[in-house]
Amino acid sequence: MEKKRLYIELENCIGCRSCLAACTQCGGHEQKNRNYVYDVNPLVNRQTMPLMCLHCVDPACARSCPAQAIQIHETGAVLSALTEKCIGCQNCTIACPYGIPKFDEEENLMYKCDLCIDRTKDGIPPMCASVCPSNTLQWLTEEEIAEKQQMHDLGNDKWVTSMPYLEGETNVKVNLPGILQGTTKLF
Amino acid sequence: MEETNVKVSKNSINNAFASHFAKSMFLAVSGIVILSFIGTRMFTHVDLNLYGYMVGTIVFLGGFFYRFIAWGERPPTKIIIKKGIKLLFRKSTPKTSAEHLATYRFIWNRGIYRWTQHVLIGWGCIVSCFVTFPLVFGWMYFTMAESGYYTIVFMGINLMTVPADGIIAFFSYNALNFSAISVIIGVCMALYRRLKNMQARADQNFLYDFMPLYLLLIISVTGLILTFMNVFLHGAGHYAMSLIHQYSVIVTLIYLPFGKLAHIPFRPLSVFARNYREHYGEKSMKECKVCGTGFVSTEQSNDVIDVLGKNDMEFNMKDGFNLAELCLPCRRKYRIARFSGFETHKVPVKEANQNAKG
Repeated sequence: MEKKRLYIELENCIGCRSCLAACTQCGGHEQKNRNYVYDVNPLVNRQTMPLMCLHCVDPACARSCPAQAIQIHETGAVLSALTEKCIGCQNCTIACPYGIPKFDEEENLMYKCDLCIDRTKDGIPPMCASVCPSNTLQWLTEEEIAEKQQMHDLGNDKWVTSMPYLEGETNVKVNLPGILQGTTKLF
Repeated sequence: MEETNVKVSKNSINNAFASHFAKSMFLAVSGIVILSFIGTRMFTHVDLNLYGYMVGTIVFLGGFFYRFIAWGERPPTKIIIKKGIKLLFRKSTPKTSAEHLATYRFIWNRGIYRWTQHVLIGWGCIVSCFVTFPLVFGWMYFTMAESGYYTIVFMGINLMTVPADGIIAFFSYNALNFSAISVIIGVCMALYRRLKNMQARADQNFLYDFMPLYLLLIISVTGLILTFMNVFLHGAGHYAMSLIHQYSVIVTLIYLPFGKLAHIPFRPLSVFARNYREHYGEKSMKECKVCGTGFVSTEQSNDVIDVLGKNDMEFNMKDGFNLAELCLPCRRKYRIARFSGFETHKVPVKEANQNAKG
């Protein structure tokens, strides 16, 4: 089974929030979604962008956890806190450079995107990527991501996936908006 | 371990020990020996039938200290433990402890079924530990000076004399039977949930999630069989079964600090964490560098920055703040801003509802 990654093409997002709804329906998610969709310039236009856990190679949340409750799966996914270990200190929410982990005060428990580990460990795309109607969220092999990278690389330092635009190496690859690069997409 | 940043005075007691581990082990074993010396009236009432459990407990202590000292050396853990101990005598500590460690209120909020199974297993185990270990180390034993009356001796003191067929005696003999039944019901509920609940099935595995349950089940069932053999079979097979029971307990005990059951000794940290958040939250709240709302205590924000620094992570932005100084919505908007080039976090609009209804 070839290793696939979540790949986010930000400017495709149409703000339908299907990914949020789908997230609630994943086996291990207890009907609570773990991803976000933001208006880029809410008072002016309708452009939206999704934001979700980027699954850092060296995750700050796990580093800051006093209870070692945040485990990293062999696929590279950074998992939700183990229910029996999480002590509810919320260090992870402060440490995460992207503000991803959510905290349930009632249950005294942190929860976050686990890349639908019950699906992705068997090579099935995560819920959000399965339902995304605009190809914002894609589930791609390394070669396909390399191809995308080439396609969007304009050689003017304005491109594309992830580093150096993020705070560290991540397992999820993000493609910065083509709009900034002056490319127009045909759907 | 501490030498680098703490000045140890020349005559400090710590110099007597090669390591933190050696010191903990020495103190724990000495404590047990002294308590047993008092409890057994100078070793005259040791129940040697239970010596296997004694050895098992000492081995358990070795694993326990190894695991937890290593864990306590992690930078974030160290901070919580240090500040947690300092804040231990807050007014709210008894209430928080009761809710976190005795009534498991947070598990109630995760579901009544899970709460029921956890109370049955948890309290079953606590009761059996409170009965077993005093018996093993001779802190508690029974004598019969007068026929038909048991004297309960606790720490070498005659606590009370009860009729051998009375109600207190009945509950003393059967405490372990009741706790075994409670654990068996709880474990069966947990197993049923793990087999049927799609959510549990999503990320469980045999060794981490099922094995501890089976270990507890084996202990409880063999313990009950022991009672059954004595009451109904005139003790037939008692010795073989008592060895099986003993092995199952010792294996579980030694495994305890290394698997899922490790949350038992380490869970009190959640009280530390709650005190830490409440105390420093009352002192001063960190105001978000973008929107100005207080979102976490200044202390915790600084501690997290400090811990991340120890892990070679610096999230200092060119815009003049550390990411741990932004509230969560602003931090997310700031990321969108980095993606798009437009300063989303500076638009004074509350983030849209991000919680989908499932």
